[in-house]
Amino acid sequence: MKLKLHVWRQKYGKSKGYFEQHDVDYVSEDMSFLEMLDVLNEKLLKSAKEPIAFDHDCREGICGCCSLTINGNPHGPEKATTTCQLHMRKFKDGETVYIEPFRAKAFPVIKDLVVDRTSLDTIIQSGGFISVNTNQPQDANALPVDKKQADLAMDAASCIGCGACVASCPNSAAMLFVSAKVSHMGLLPQGQPERKKRVLAMVNTMDAEGFGTCRNFYECEAACPKEISVRFIARMNRDFLKASLSKED
Amino acid sequence: MGILSYLQSSILSKIVMAVTGAMLVGYIVIHTAGNLLIYSGQDAINSYSQFLHSLGPVLWIARIVLLLALILHIWTSIVLKVSSNEAKPEKYAVKNYFKAKLTSRTMLWTGVAVFLFVVYHVSHLTLHITNPEHVVNQMYLPHGLHLSSAASALSYERTDVYRMVILGFQNPLISLVYMIAVTIVGFHLNHAVQSMFQTLGLNHPKYFPTIQKSSVALSFIIIFCLISIPISVLLKLIGGNL
Repeated sequence: MKLKLHVWRQKYGKSKGYFEQHDVDYVSEDMSFLEMLDVLNEKLLKSAKEPIAFDHDCREGICGCCSLTINGNPHGPEKATTTCQLHMRKFKDGETVYIEPFRAKAFPVIKDLVVDRTSLDTIIQSGGFISVNTNQPQDANALPVDKKQADLAMDAASCIGCGACVASCPNSAAMLFVSAKVSHMGLLPQGQPERKKRVLAMVNTMDAEGFGTCRNFYECEAACPKEISVRFIARMNRDFLKASLSKED
Repeated sequence: MGILSYLQSSILSKIVMAVTGAMLVGYIVIHTAGNLLIYSGQDAINSYSQFLHSLGPVLWIARIVLLLALILHIWTSIVLKVSSNEAKPEKYAVKNYFKAKLTSRTMLWTGVAVFLFVVYHVSHLTLHITNPEHVVNQMYLPHGLHLSSAASALSYERTDVYRMVILGFQNPLISLVYMIAVTIVGFHLNHAVQSMFQTLGLNHPKYFPTIQKSSVALSFIIIFCLISIPISVLLKLIGGNL
């Protein structure tokens, strides 16, 4: 397969970025998107050029490290798939492919396609935890959990924190990410003591980190490699309103 | 900051958008239903208008509340738009949307258009600034009363809303602007109504699909009902005698 790649290059955060064109002819249908870039980088290194910087880690679709906005879609055109799990057979021979970093003010570019997603960690630090006393663990069955609630909490917990929701949102809102994190604890009994404090803290941190506002485009849900539903956003709005009206301090 | 401090919270701002939006949607639905009285003839719509005016302070409270809702709705949307633009300083070279529809992406612009139209619409039909020649009074007589003197005749006059509407829509330009404007109102509502429920946290698999369909249906019903009036006037189906 041949492809016409337009890759975003940016030497460092503050420098001006530009698209660099690469005509590649080695692409096999069985390669993943990242493997396709690996081969391109090897070629660049052999000709003593700067390789393209991009994020990756597990390459199994579970770590949330890989990013890339491919032809305008975070993680590419395939539904429920991370970039590392995206196969080149999803592209047509001779196709033009634009590769850009995840774009948001809260995700500043570090180099080329690598962005700094620390602001998601900052949100987690502000409330994405439960407080447990250290001691003998209690019997697991002593805490009844409704099966449906547990399933829903699991759906929310499947968020890998990649930031595709932010990248896909025309307003760079982080509502899907934050709502998944708020919900997966808020749905379980262990998350109840800090439920109000958590949603208020995480939403306020989200606002302070410079993410935009949700306008219910639902692009995040479509871009999410874990198919997290925007219903979690509605749930978070509900929780936030309740907590705002009834906080104790 | 006081009362405007809600603007610092993205979700509270959204809730203000949803609640003020709900009030405006409620108004549009009632207004559309009232407008349809034109099909029942001159007396029906003029009596309705007279009834509304007879409410006195209640009418003014409703007007003030709606005006405040409109101002909050617009002001909040401007603040949100500015902060959202700041949140994505660099746009993508290639854009490809999966779910964002034309109606949802153009909310700000349809909103601006609706606002400009409302200003014109109110100047025409409520404040009588544009086309004051469309405004005349209608003489009416309650049942069982007979006109005896000129003095009592004056007390049985009311604004002839029917004539005002018909004369307005007999002007093809006014009709055209109106039809375009109410279509844009429908466009705005198409996304707005379901968005309102989502923002207020009312999204459940049991009923949200119905809400989404109803939102689209409502927008088409509003467009259809309102557009039918200038078309009927232009085709002389109503008001042909004026």
